[in-house]
Amino acid sequence: MLGGVTDEIPAEHLSWAGDALDAAKAAGADYADVRVVEELAESIDVRDDRVEGVSRTSSRGVGIRVLAHGAWGFAATNEPGDLAGTARRAVEIARASAPLRGEPVRLDDTPQPSGRYVTPHGRNPFDVPLAEKIELLLATAAAGREAKGIAYVEATTDAWQRSTVFRSSDGGWFDQRVVQVGGGLRGTALGEGELQVRSWPNSFRGRFTCGGWEDVVAIDLPGHALGTCAEAVALLTAPDLPARETTLLLESSQLALQVHESVGHPTELDRIMGMERAFAGTSFVTVEDRGRLRYGSPLVTILADATTPGALGTFGYDDEGVPAGTAPLVVDGVLEGFLTSRETAALIGDRSNGTARADSWNAIPLIRMNNVSLQPGDAGSLDDLIADTEDGVLLATNRSWSIDDRRVNFQFGCEAAYEIRDGRRGRLYRNPTYAGRTTEFWGACEALGSDWVVWGVPNCGKGQPMQTARVAHGAPTGRFHHVTTGSSS
Amino acid sequence: VSRASALDLASAALGVAGADGVEVLLTRDDTALTRFAESRVHQNTARVDGEARVRAVVDGCRVGVVATNDLTPYGVRRAAEAAVEAARLTPRDESFPGLAPAAEYGDAGEDDAATAAASPADRAALVATMLGHLGRDQVAAGTAETGRRELAVVNSDGVAGYHASTRASLTCLVSGSDSTGWAEDTAGAVGALSADDVAARAVGKVEAGRSPRDVEPGDWPVVLEAPAVGTLVEWLCWLAFGGREVVEGRSAISGRFGERVCSPLVTIVDDPLAPGMLGTPFDAEGTPKRALPLVTEGVAVNAAHDRLSARLAGAASTGHALPAPNPEGGFPANPSLRPGDASLDELVAGCERALLVTRFHYTNAVHALSTTLTGMTRDGTFLVEDGRVVGGVRNLRFTQSILGTLSTVEAVGRETALGSEFGGSVRVPALRLGSFHFSSATTF
Repeated sequence: MLGGVTDEIPAEHLSWAGDALDAAKAAGADYADVRVVEELAESIDVRDDRVEGVSRTSSRGVGIRVLAHGAWGFAATNEPGDLAGTARRAVEIARASAPLRGEPVRLDDTPQPSGRYVTPHGRNPFDVPLAEKIELLLATAAAGREAKGIAYVEATTDAWQRSTVFRSSDGGWFDQRVVQVGGGLRGTALGEGELQVRSWPNSFRGRFTCGGWEDVVAIDLPGHALGTCAEAVALLTAPDLPARETTLLLESSQLALQVHESVGHPTELDRIMGMERAFAGTSFVTVEDRGRLRYGSPLVTILADATTPGALGTFGYDDEGVPAGTAPLVVDGVLEGFLTSRETAALIGDRSNGTARADSWNAIPLIRMNNVSLQPGDAGSLDDLIADTEDGVLLATNRSWSIDDRRVNFQFGCEAAYEIRDGRRGRLYRNPTYAGRTTEFWGACEALGSDWVVWGVPNCGKGQPMQTARVAHGAPTGRFHHVTTGSSS
Repeated sequence: VSRASALDLASAALGVAGADGVEVLLTRDDTALTRFAESRVHQNTARVDGEARVRAVVDGCRVGVVATNDLTPYGVRRAAEAAVEAARLTPRDESFPGLAPAAEYGDAGEDDAATAAASPADRAALVATMLGHLGRDQVAAGTAETGRRELAVVNSDGVAGYHASTRASLTCLVSGSDSTGWAEDTAGAVGALSADDVAARAVGKVEAGRSPRDVEPGDWPVVLEAPAVGTLVEWLCWLAFGGREVVEGRSAISGRFGERVCSPLVTIVDDPLAPGMLGTPFDAEGTPKRALPLVTEGVAVNAAHDRLSARLAGAASTGHALPAPNPEGGFPANPSLRPGDASLDELVAGCERALLVTRFHYTNAVHALSTTLTGMTRDGTFLVEDGRVVGGVRNLRFTQSILGTLSTVEAVGRETALGSEFGGSVRVPALRLGSFHFSSATTF
């Protein structure tokens, strides 16, 4: 269970899937799909010279999704002895939904899947000795402690392994294993009536990938700890970023989150169709906007690509059995597509582009971003973009995010800002924010670097009950004109 | 299941070889949620799940945590063995405060048989009732949810707690041609919910908000309805009243106990045992919960501690531990704000020109030390002139310090509402505030 892993799917998972599918059909399902999922997770938290937490979890169970009487039903259990009862419960739920379902649910004509997929990785993180991981994190914290004035240093690593057996009543099947890792550091400085944090390589526990332990080692946390923590201390006495309208440069990790909030979510077809209205909201985008809406400047091309090597949102099949692929969302600044599921795609006469995923065996697939990435430009590196900017400000590393329920009005906060004057990086500012409206902001994109990096976002919330998806976004450094910037303090 | 079987199952881990101490936190959830949008049921789910979370201690201060949802004696024992293995590989932690001692527990929440037995047809009936209130050109989205949770905690020092509770909620968001309205109802028993009332309130907001106008952002007097106040209070508890951030100087109230931090009209108590709250009688370490005053007439008085932050502070745990490991420490998850004596109409009547806010959307902290949030208004924002609501306004973004605006409380509502945004429960009234900063506007 927890002492190691193999690439073999347990035989009992295969038999549970078959039994659950048989039970769903026997209970009266017109269509059924079954997912038997086992997920391992591990988190290690170090603070200074103390290991604050070592946690390993395992969760496995069976989710049964049915269509009956034209309506969806879903039931899930962690008790494999109750598969027949769970299947009956799913059908009972569909039956109860039927009088209030509106038009019968139709699915697209995606061919049924058949295959196996494992995300490429070197050392499976669950096979790496705990002591080796702890040693890396303690070394990171020790290096950060060398920064004079730092209050404390945190270093973390996380890993997940999800194994899925999918079977559908239409004969579809796939077996899949996805291995994901992440690591990061955070220095906290306290004083002068302020608290300032600097993170590396990204905030909220670092950088996440689909891959093995070698990805965490490659981040070189110890090698970046001192500089990161020294800047946290420097932020304590830095001035707040002045409020003004200016040219804004966004470091790629922040631009990745901008893509997430203001392009990824608004192009989810379930949101567009009102299916998420009660909780996360809808979208300013309409179905009729495809091919017409000017989303951004001609520099802006954004693709949803579940095959991006090493990216956190990479997989072989989504949780409806649709093979991973690439779909255009915005091309040369014009809206060209949506993120879809089999049900929503059918409503607009399309075929799903494979973005329906569940965060567990106990949840239904929802439309989720995979790797929704802003394509790079030709403006070179961050330094090249700075050299090409007369007057502006560079914001780095996300601290906060907020956007309205139609994904128009946004405000982001970052950990640090740097003045740019006459092509050179100038003074450091603290508590920076910027704000705007989605299409105006993307329309003001005037340069994109070629320094493209994929950033994992492991905490994307959506749905009721809330599901947390692990997605990713590639982005270069970007430059935008006439953006409102300021300070949060 | 039952108290005896839950405690027996959790206790299966206590005898694991090689551990000086063992703690087991056991949960079992049976929940169902019917979700509707565009006035039709489009998602309808049920799940049975649980977890045994085992914390093992070796050499007195090496700690490992392993969790499994294999809730068989074999599964729990395997988790315990793995926790011991993890603990052995973990460096010594001299600040580990030890496991909680045995204690007696009070009562909390409800365990309502009808809620536990609620069927898909029962939830569909609630949805149908809400949909029956819609007017022409109106559509609705929302949820009907019922569930039961069993929670047990045992440890090798004699802790043995068990608690079963139910929860039910309704939400309804009604959309008209150019306005939206939202309402919710949450309780420990499904029978206490009123689908008619929830839908009527949401429809009423849609109708009052027709033809919304633009207003300028800036500093406004506001009346915040209970859901909006609940968001501020829950964020305040998260940002400022967790014991670890207080003791480490990372909180707005660090070093300020006994000082006035907001209006004397504000009294906040974390009270998971109070009737009508959805709390538990013990925390994840098995420490009993009790009423904990946080702000008394505007003065900061206490922070919430788990055993680690209590040790750092030289205090006792207040029963706020979250499931281990939890480096952030605990926070008050069941706050209530003491009601006043004004009706909502009276709060509005006291305004010359103000905004009335139903709820907030996508709030996030932009500066934790000053308790500054940003977020949007949503589903019912209105202009008040000369003491009455004169129409809807397009939504606004706010950027505002919580303690800052709570320093401008002018009047407190007498009716409270129960909500839940952070996983616990919050019971608050509406407030009239003298100043609230809106930083920008949007187009709807």
